[in-house]
Order: sequence, then structure tokens, then C-alpha cells
Amino acid sequence: MVEVFAVASGKGGTGKTTSTVALGMALAQRYDVTVVDADTGMANLLFHAGLSDVETTLHDVLADKVAVTEAAYERFGMTVVPCGTSLEGFRDSDPTRLREVVATLAADTDVILLDSPPALDSRAAVLPVVMADRAVVVLQPTIPAISDGLKVQEYATSYDTGIAGLLFNKVRDEDSIDEVVTKTERYFEGPTLGSVPESDCAREARRAGRPLLAHAPDCPAAEAYRSVAASLSVREGESDDVADRFRSAVIPERP
Amino acid sequence: MRLPRGRLRKSRVVTDPRDTLADVLDRELTGYAVFESQDSLLLDAEGRGVVTFEAGIPVVAYHTGSDRGGPPALADLAVPGPYHVSVFELDADELAPVHDADDLRVPPVMPAERLAGDPALADSTRRGAPADRRPTESDGDDHSAVAAFLDDTEKIEAIQRQAREEAAQRATEWGFSDT
Repeated sequence: MVEVFAVASGKGGTGKTTSTVALGMALAQRYDVTVVDADTGMANLLFHAGLSDVETTLHDVLADKVAVTEAAYERFGMTVVPCGTSLEGFRDSDPTRLREVVATLAADTDVILLDSPPALDSRAAVLPVVMADRAVVVLQPTIPAISDGLKVQEYATSYDTGIAGLLFNKVRDEDSIDEVVTKTERYFEGPTLGSVPESDCAREARRAGRPLLAHAPDCPAAEAYRSVAASLSVREGESDDVADRFRSAVIPERP
Repeated sequence: MRLPRGRLRKSRVVTDPRDTLADVLDRELTGYAVFESQDSLLLDAEGRGVVTFEAGIPVVAYHTGSDRGGPPALADLAVPGPYHVSVFELDADELAPVHDADDLRVPPVMPAERLAGDPALADSTRRGAPADRRPTESDGDDHSAVAAFLDDTEKIEAIQRQAREEAAQRATEWGFSDT
């Protein structure tokens, strides 16, 4: 079985990478999880997963220099495919090869999480959302974050990508956000998976180059991520089907 | 809300109200900014949003299209952009009558926090706020502007419709529909 999720937000700064890694670690308790840094122009997953020193990354795979297995690292109970940060690496990589990468990874894992670029303004930025089965939309309780989340949903559903749910991140007061959560849900096709409190732990974990769930597993934000992961129902898809779909990149034409 | 006309200091098109809030804070401007949507596709394109400032810190908000003041006015002026923004300087004593209207006032950090969605700008604004307006912890948790935005069903549907059309158009441009 395999299901591919894009962890997406239209806006930067919502804590998308922290969320991707945290969900990956929490889901790894139940599934074989692979996390991919699909933000090939502004990669930072490597800094969250203690992989800032690795030499081979997704850039090399997308440049057709190495097989994806060479850029896949076993860390924190999951498989992590980091992307490099050099301009040269970005220039030489072909983001459309991501389809082949995901197809290859799909053969041997249960859940793939694509840390997606916080933008919708280019082919490469939209590709992870196009390829995923469903998107987890990361929001903050601000007007631009919710507006951009709505746009992510429209892009996703335009390509028949479902909405797995909403994750409110960096929430300062759990009680006062209820009204916003309820009102936001009306416009989204997926449920609210949970809200994660703003936390110094997340910043400290990032500075330490470790996932939040490894660095401070008992902090409220880590608890919240585990709860979000528990409410995310992973659907069973046939690995072969997913691989075929990505390879052929059958993307429905919309009216 | 009636304001005496100030001295025009800047007139430009921005994609994000954040740019203007940051610029006004940097310059510690006392006066007001007028935001006008450039996007005629959106329903709330009619009308202008006005935010006043004292030494760069937001004081009141008002929207001419909805005739609403305070946090809901911030929701009314929120559109995906671009905006035409005019920034005017005006003496504090000329702003005083407007600033005395409690129903128009907004918490100092609310525009940065909820309209611009920029925590760093919100922190700078918090630090710059005068002692008598220094935001408390709970001011940062005021979601009323976001709630007012979500109550505007027509605007949200317009944003969705626009995104849907954009996605369809780009799918063709990017070859997602024919591969």
C-alpha cells in the first residue's frame, strides 16, 4: 500500500517543514514512511533532519546523476530524501523528474510525504500537489495564510488531488482559535486534523538540526503533532498503481 | 470616517499590504494609508481601506465600501492583491478626532499579525507601540479580523473562483493537462 501526501501551504513561514517531519515521525509508528523535500528551490528539510552534511541529495537524482536510493537516508525511523541548497544543484536539476522519483519510492513504502514549496507560481512549485493523492494544508490563523490555503485547495482539486485535512500551526491560544477553525472548515473539503501550539521547542529543535519529535518529544507541540497524525487516515493504494500513475503522469484535463 | 487630506508621501502598487505596514513602521509615519484593490474580479474591489498610524503604529481602520471600522475593516481591505496604496502624512492633532472613535480602533499588532500574517513585523510593531498602547499577550490572540474575513462568503468564493480559473489556465500553460 502507499498513499502520497503533499504537505502544502500557499504561504511561507507556516512551519510546513517542521510539520512534514513531525507527521512523518509520528506516522512512522504505524507505517513505513518516506519524507521527500519537494521544495527543490528552497530546500530546508535537510536542516530539520540532521542531514545538512550529506553530499548526495535529491538535486543529484533530479540531475539524473544518481539513483534515488543513493539520496535516501534512514533517519529517526523513516526514510528521508533531502534536497540540496546550492544554486548550481537547483539549476542542474529537472523538477519534472520528481514524478519518476516518487514512482520509484512508492514501490517500497506505505506513506510518502512531500514537503511542498510555499508557492503556486511555477510548474515546479505546483508539481507536488499535482502528484499527490491528497494534500495536508498547513494554515495559520491569519488572513493571508487562509487565503493561500484556499488557493492550494483549488489547485489540488483541479488536479483531482484530495484534501486530507487542515493543520493549524503556530497557534498561540487554543481557546480563542475555535471560532476561526470552525469558520475555516466551512470552505475546505477536508476535516481539521488538529492545531499545533506555537512553541519554543520547535525553534530549538530546528537550531539543533533535529526533528521536533526527537528533540522534545514531550512538549505540547509534539503531542499535538502525534494527535494530528493519529487523525490522518491513510488509505490503501496499490504501490504498482501509484507507480504507474506517476510514471505516466496521467493528470486529468479539466473542463 | 472623515479625514483631512494629508500630504502625499508615496503612491505605488504593492502585492501585499505587509510592504506598506513595514515601510510606515520604518519611517515612523504619522498619517494614513489608503488601500485600493487593483483587482476588479473581486467583489470587494469597490471601496477603499484606510489605516491610520501614529509614529508608524496602526491606530484605526475603516473601509469605505462596507462602511465598517475596526477589525472587520481589515478583513474588508484584504484581497489577494495587488493594491494601489497611497500614503499620506498628517499631523497627530488632525487625526485625533478619528482616533477618539473607539469603534474604529484596532489593536496595534493586528494589521501585521492577521492582515499581513507576518510575526516578525508584529514583533517590531509591538516593540514600537507607545506605553499606553503596548499590546498585552492576549491582544495577539484576537482573531476577530480573521473571523470577519471568513464571514464574507462572497469574497471567499471569489478567491476560490479566481484560484480555480488560474489553476486551469496554468495547467494548460505548464502542460499538466496533456501529458
